[in-house]
Parts: sequence; structure tokens; C-alpha cells
Amino acid sequence: MNPKRKALAVAVAGTALGAAGLGLLAVPAGAGEAPELPPVGAQALVQSVLEADPPALAGTVAFDNQLGLPSMPGVPMLDMDSARVYYDGEGDSRIAVQDGNSEQTIVRDGNTVWMYDSATDTATKTDARSHHPREENPQGRMSDPAAAAADLVSDLRASSTVSVDGTARVAGRPAYELVLTPKPEERTLLREVRVAVDSESRLPLRLSVLTNGTTEPALQLGFTDIDFGAQPAELFEFTPPRGATVTEAEPDVEGARDAARAGEPRLVGEGWDAVLVGRVPADVLSGGEEDGNVRGMLDRLSTRVSGDWGSGQLVSTSIGTAILTDDGRFALGAVPQQVLTKALATR
Amino acid sequence: MTETLESAPPPSPAADGPSRAPLPRLLRAELRWIFRRPRTLVVLGLLAAIPVIIGVALTLVDSPGPPDGGGDGDGGSLVATAAGNALVLPIAALAMALGLLLPLTAAMVGGDALAGEQAHGTLRGWLLAPVSRGRLLFVKAFGVATFAVCAAGVMALTGIVTGLVINGTDALVSLSGTTLTFPEALLKVAIAAGWVSLQLWAVGAVALAISACTEHPMVVLASVLGGVVVFSVLQFLDALDWLHPFLLNASWQDLADVLRDPMPGGALAEGALRAACYIAIALSLAYARLSTKDG
Repeated sequence: MNPKRKALAVAVAGTALGAAGLGLLAVPAGAGEAPELPPVGAQALVQSVLEADPPALAGTVAFDNQLGLPSMPGVPMLDMDSARVYYDGEGDSRIAVQDGNSEQTIVRDGNTVWMYDSATDTATKTDARSHHPREENPQGRMSDPAAAAADLVSDLRASSTVSVDGTARVAGRPAYELVLTPKPEERTLLREVRVAVDSESRLPLRLSVLTNGTTEPALQLGFTDIDFGAQPAELFEFTPPRGATVTEAEPDVEGARDAARAGEPRLVGEGWDAVLVGRVPADVLSGGEEDGNVRGMLDRLSTRVSGDWGSGQLVSTSIGTAILTDDGRFALGAVPQQVLTKALATR
Repeated sequence: MTETLESAPPPSPAADGPSRAPLPRLLRAELRWIFRRPRTLVVLGLLAAIPVIIGVALTLVDSPGPPDGGGDGDGGSLVATAAGNALVLPIAALAMALGLLLPLTAAMVGGDALAGEQAHGTLRGWLLAPVSRGRLLFVKAFGVATFAVCAAGVMALTGIVTGLVINGTDALVSLSGTTLTFPEALLKVAIAAGWVSLQLWAVGAVALAISACTEHPMVVLASVLGGVVVFSVLQFLDALDWLHPFLLNASWQDLADVLRDPMPGGALAEGALRAACYIAIALSLAYARLSTKDG
């Protein structure tokens, strides 16, 4: 063969092979044709979600937000890249939240919850039993789309239109898309909330929040890959490594004191335009060592607003707004500003 | 380089057909040529010193654990964790050097392999010798790969030795807080070193491709380094996130994944596949250029 032509052939073949491989890598995982699934009613789907017990699984959860807020140090759920979730099907779980090159590991072994932070090399032990029943662990609830979506569905049925809108493929699994749309009289910034429910296990796989006027979800929390099946038991045990700082957290005391001082926040309104109104403990704002820059951070994020309810700072994001008044009250909700100020006025 | 000429058999009589030089001998000659150059040894020595320097510096500074919010800089956070952890030190050193230093050395060797030999006039010997061009490229790519393995291996080795000397064998803790046995830790470091070698080989293959097109090793070095810097800058531009999967260094930050337990393999496998794609493209282009080169 002519060496020139052979050279050309090799160059083209090799480049094509490599480029095809790179192109394959660039295709987002989980994309693909919407699967064909037998139709199911919204009512039945919601019920099966609420009834289903999450099976043993291992998966990766990715969190994606387009809120338009800068990343906030110390708010791990807003900062995190992704988390690996392991569940043994009987209440024990392991969540590894990946944040840059460090990792926060939360292991629930029976009634003990260990939190380990690799950046600071600290382990915190919490007795979950005295505090609240097992599903109420806030960390677990926020990181586990199963619990988050189940809560949402049951809460919102009163004020929303619930429908099943086609199917999707999430983390390689066929799923139903359950859509919650606010009823027309609800005054909210949100357009719809979509929950992708696995067609077999009925486990919510993905939760997306869409706002008016955008096509991309403002907030999305979902599995990027998931495997069902028994998990090795040693995943759900934790022994703090030598040299780590180990503390035993007393969950109740601190939280209860804060809550007592702050006054219990209350919900004004219901459904989509519910507004949470409460009082912020004074020392949070004036600044302990850790929270010293709360006001400073607020100043960067917020705009000044005032009205007959007083004056304060308004933080608006695509999915919600919040007002912190100068006298230490706060109001937040997935609503426009007017609804917040009205809620502040009805004290 | 004289060895190269000696070991490649003299232009043979017709009885001994073309491309019949025994491959092991060619490879041995190439390795001898690479590893007898003083600059190769100096570079390897410096790479070996990096983990030691990091380890000693971290011990001398003796910060009692990183302060809160120390997780801002990606490489920095790992280095901070390495202070009290024998397992993290070699990985942190590799992750840090993978940013610029290791690609630089791979580009240096890739540049010397073809352009450097051409600049000295010794490539002519190869091109005239009864060694097929494919075989020549194989020998050169093998040399670059061996250097990549040595570079990553020597860093990993001194890293783990330094970590063990400073922190002892019971400080092998993964980022997930699990304490590992020594063989488990060794396996993790070996995986990291192997993965880094593969990435380096990809850089070296690109350097070989450029090297085949020029006779100035400096051009190779400059263009590969320039490429690495440009790629790193592109990584920071969120607007170009569609482009990121095509960039070789897209998963270089994921090296820390080997420190997690259980180890998430997705990003690392993706990075390895990406490196393989770069190698396929670069070596095929290098072959095309080399096989049409006039002796």
C-alpha cells in the first residue's frame, strides 16, 4: 500500500476512534429515549410512593442548583458536588457528601449517627434515639431524595394538581414523572415540581423544581446512578480513626435552647404560598465567631426593602424570597415579595 | 545516543528482511538511552523529593489540623489533610504535581524522543535502519510510558515512605474516616500511581505527535505546556461546560476519589478512558507523520 495513503488511513482511523470515545464520554449519562411504561394514575402512583419502603441500594446523588446565590461556606447542602448514598433497607445508612477534595461521611448504625468531616478530621457521635424517630434525622432527610419527595407529595396534595406526565430515564432506570402544579389561585414563584419515580421499586429517583419562565430546573436533586441490592454490613459501621477529634453531640439541649429563645417559627398561609415567619436569635446576627459574617453576607446578597411592616433586607432567588427585618424577624417562602410582607404584617 | 546506533543493527543485507530488528533489544536500547540521560535522572530525583519536602514541611509547621473552611483550594485541602495521614500524602503529592509538573516531565521525554533525536541527527539512524516506522513509534511510545510509570511510581513510593516514617502505619485513614490496613492502603496508592501514569502517558503521546512534526524539542515542551495551561483555564469557565468532557485534564481533580472508601470508580474510569482516547488520537497522528517522514 502506498505509504502516504496508509498513513492517512491510520491517522483518520485513530482520530475517529479517539474522537468517538471522547464524544461518548461527553454524552450525559442517563439521557435517552423515554421508556414505554404501562400507564398509572396519579393517585395510585402517589400512594405507591408513600407505601414503598426504600430497598437496599447504593447510588450517587447529585445536587444542582441554579438559585443565583453565591456558594455559602458552611452550608454543605448548597456546596456539595455529589453524595454517595448506601442504604441497607432496614434503617441503617451511609451518606458520603463530596465537597471538593474533602468528604463528610454520615453513618447511621442503629440508633447511633456518626458524622465525620475529613477536612477537619473530626467525628461527631449523636444518639438519634433520644432526639427524634429515625426518619426525622434532618441530614438524612435532605440527602435522601426518597424521604424528601415523599414529604413533599403528601404536603402538597391539598393545593396542587397532581398528575403523571410521561416517563423518563433517570440513572438508567425507567421512571414515571409525577408532576405537581400549583392551583391557579396559589401565589408562588414555582411553576411545577417534578418527581421521577422508579417504575419498579417506586422509589423517587429525582426531584426537580421548576420556576416560571425557565426550562432548566432551578433546583434538582437526584440519583445519577443507582444499584439495588444488599450492601456489605461494614458500610454501616463506623469507628473514628486514630487522631480524629471525637465529640459527642447532645442534640436536644442546644437546639431546644435556640428554639425557645427564637420563639417557634410559624407558618402563615398554606400550600404553595405558605410563608415561614419567625424570629432569629439575636446572637446569630450580631455574630459569634462562626457566624460573624452573617450580616456581611446578607449585605452582599440582599436589597433594602421597607413598608408598613417595618424595614429589612430582601434576598430573592429564583425559587423563593426571604426577608430579614431589622428587628430580627424573618419570613421566607416560595412566593413573591408581596406575600412575604403581608405575612410579616399579620403578626 | 551512541548506544542507540550500536544496538540498532547495521543496514542489513537483503537476506534479513526489513523490520527484523529484535524488539526487546530495541526497547532495552531506548530505555538505556532515556535513563542514562542526566536530565531524566535529575527530574526523577526532584519528583522523588517532592513528597518528602511536603511531608517534612507539614510536620515542621505542625498545624493542629486545618482551620474551618480549609476546603477552599482543591489541592490545598488534600495537602492539609496529609499532615496527619500517611495515606493521603502520596496522593496529595501526585494530585498537586499532576497539575503542571508531571505533564512537564512527560512532555520533556516526549519531545526528546523524536524531535530531540532529530535535532542531534540521530533520528536519521532510526529512519534508515531496517526498523519499520510503526516499530519505531512503538519503541518511542514504550519509552515515554515507562518514564511515566517511573515518574508516578517514584513519587508514590517516596510519598508513602515519608508518610509512614512521619505518621506510622496506623495513620492510614481514608477520607471517609475508615482506617485501612497496610495492603489496602498500598493498593489505593498503586491505583492512584497507575492512573496518574496513564494520564501522563496521554500527555506524552501528544508530545510524541508534536515531536514527530518538529525538530525542536523546545517547541514540543512549549506547546504541550501551553496546552495544559489553556486546558486548565478552560476548566474554570462554566460557560464552556459542554467542552469539558473533551479536555484531557477534566478528571485530574478526581484523583482524590481513590482516597474515599468505598472508592467511587466512575470518574476515574472516565478519566482513564479519556486518556486512552487521547493516546489513540495522538499515536495515530504521530504514526502518520512518522511513516511519511523522509530518512
